[in-house]
Amino acid sequence: MDRKENSKYLWDGSGEPDPEIQRLESVLGKLAYSGARPGFPDIVPAAPWWSVLPFGWPMRLAAVSAVMAVAALVAVWFVIHRSKQNPAPSGSTASEWQVARLAGAPRVGNTAIENQGGLGPGQTLVTDNRSRAEITADEVGEIEVDPDTRLRLVPSRGERKRLALDRGVIHAFIWSPPGEFMVDTPSATAVDMGCAYTLQVDDSGAGLLRTTLGWVGFRLDGHDAFIPAGAVCATRPGIGPGTPCFEDASPALRAALTAFDFGPADQRAPALDTILAQARKRDALTLWHLLARVDANDRGRVYDRLAKLVPPPHAVTRDGILRLDPTMLDLWWNELGLGDVSLWRTFERSWSESDSQSRGKAR
Amino acid sequence: MAVGVASNVDFCTAIMERRTVSAWTEDSGDAALAEAARDGDRGAFGLLYDRYARMVHGVLLARVPFSAVDDLVQDVFLQALGRLRSLRDTACFGAWIAAIARNRAHDYHRRSRNDVELTDDILGDEQTGGGSSKPLRLASAPAPDAEAAAALAAIRSLPEAYRETLILRLVEGMTGPEIAARTGLTTGSVRVNMHRGMQKLREKLGSGVRG
Repeated sequence: MDRKENSKYLWDGSGEPDPEIQRLESVLGKLAYSGARPGFPDIVPAAPWWSVLPFGWPMRLAAVSAVMAVAALVAVWFVIHRSKQNPAPSGSTASEWQVARLAGAPRVGNTAIENQGGLGPGQTLVTDNRSRAEITADEVGEIEVDPDTRLRLVPSRGERKRLALDRGVIHAFIWSPPGEFMVDTPSATAVDMGCAYTLQVDDSGAGLLRTTLGWVGFRLDGHDAFIPAGAVCATRPGIGPGTPCFEDASPALRAALTAFDFGPADQRAPALDTILAQARKRDALTLWHLLARVDANDRGRVYDRLAKLVPPPHAVTRDGILRLDPTMLDLWWNELGLGDVSLWRTFERSWSESDSQSRGKAR
Repeated sequence: MAVGVASNVDFCTAIMERRTVSAWTEDSGDAALAEAARDGDRGAFGLLYDRYARMVHGVLLARVPFSAVDDLVQDVFLQALGRLRSLRDTACFGAWIAAIARNRAHDYHRRSRNDVELTDDILGDEQTGGGSSKPLRLASAPAPDAEAAAALAAIRSLPEAYRETLILRLVEGMTGPEIAARTGLTTGSVRVNMHRGMQKLREKLGSGVRG
């Protein structure tokens, strides 16, 4: 069958039918939604407060007008006063996250959160050493903010989808579609790919990301790290994301990886020896990332070790990997069984646009 | 004054009629329906239910056992009903309720403390295919439920983004443009997920045909 026709049928049911897709539709269609609309409870709209006034419409109207005039004056005063204390960037269309106090006295700008509050674009949520908070956005997810943390909502085109963690620890549980929610740190940006994770940043700007569900991308200027559930990845200012590894990797491998990523140049060669010697099949995650990070002279050794642990697919050649052919690297990644890298590539372009825009605004 | 009172009565009656007799049609936009529902119009919310129930069902079916899906669909809409006032951009109703459905599925697993693997009362052990590396094949003429279960298990073994899109297309019968419109995803993302997912599914099902 013509490939284009086949593709049209899958896309919108037009074109020449594909027998295999038709078969699947027929088999799986039995599981389709077949319920009827249930009886929903009455929806109680918010009662207008003026409905409680005990007199007729003309008097109500006058009372409402008077109250609105006073409210408008108060609002103008509040906006002016607030913008002096905690300015929000102009032109932003992003909405607030809801903030709930979990312990102590977290603050948004100069305002202490007693129980509930909001975090608007450009505003910063700060917890001291005894306070904790939770922030929630319906279409994004929920994030627990640990003590001693500074977290900002970055004004961006993708409303409420970008935060900046200047310092501290957050635990994110995200249900927004993959690739839409990001957290900037001083040394890398964490891109959610449908997951739960913990992100911490110390006072020097160094960070650590630990994925507990799904997977997360860590990136800086096109330098990427993919971190699946059970793996961690460190990042350093001026360097960016290091090489991810599983938390159950041997201590020797993890120590060697730190030396390789962030240690002096003369430690890289012995560190690489240790990593290659210690790597298990599961550590293919680490070796795949190292392919693009080692010196060209060492790439062959990494290739050979990774090929023993996870043989490359047919379309991937040693020569291709040695010259870092991006398609071959992606094909090999998909062979690791850790998720499909094509999802990441799909969203990359929009992230790049978003990166440049938000950096411009954040400055 | 009498005229004024009569006008007020007419005005109130008109408001009440608007709430009890929905004039909404299939062509009414999501934003208008969501705003009306937020103001108490159950008819408008019912239309949103009709429009989005399949999508919510598919999003849930990609993540939770088949036997739990119908109840969870009702849960999702009830949750949405209670939270309508927090929906800031009513035009985004689809993406919003899809997010509630994904969250409800996560919550289902958190509560059941079983996020290891989907199991299903309609799946036979030999058909779940969950960690099997062997290609799955549709049986030649098995009982309908078993055949559907095998195909569903194959889809569920794919990455999440492919899983959701393929279930919306193959189970719920939605087209690509419809999936994009209902879930709030871009057409490009849906197209990529659908075609790559289908390719992976064909491999799982042991087919040589490529989409």
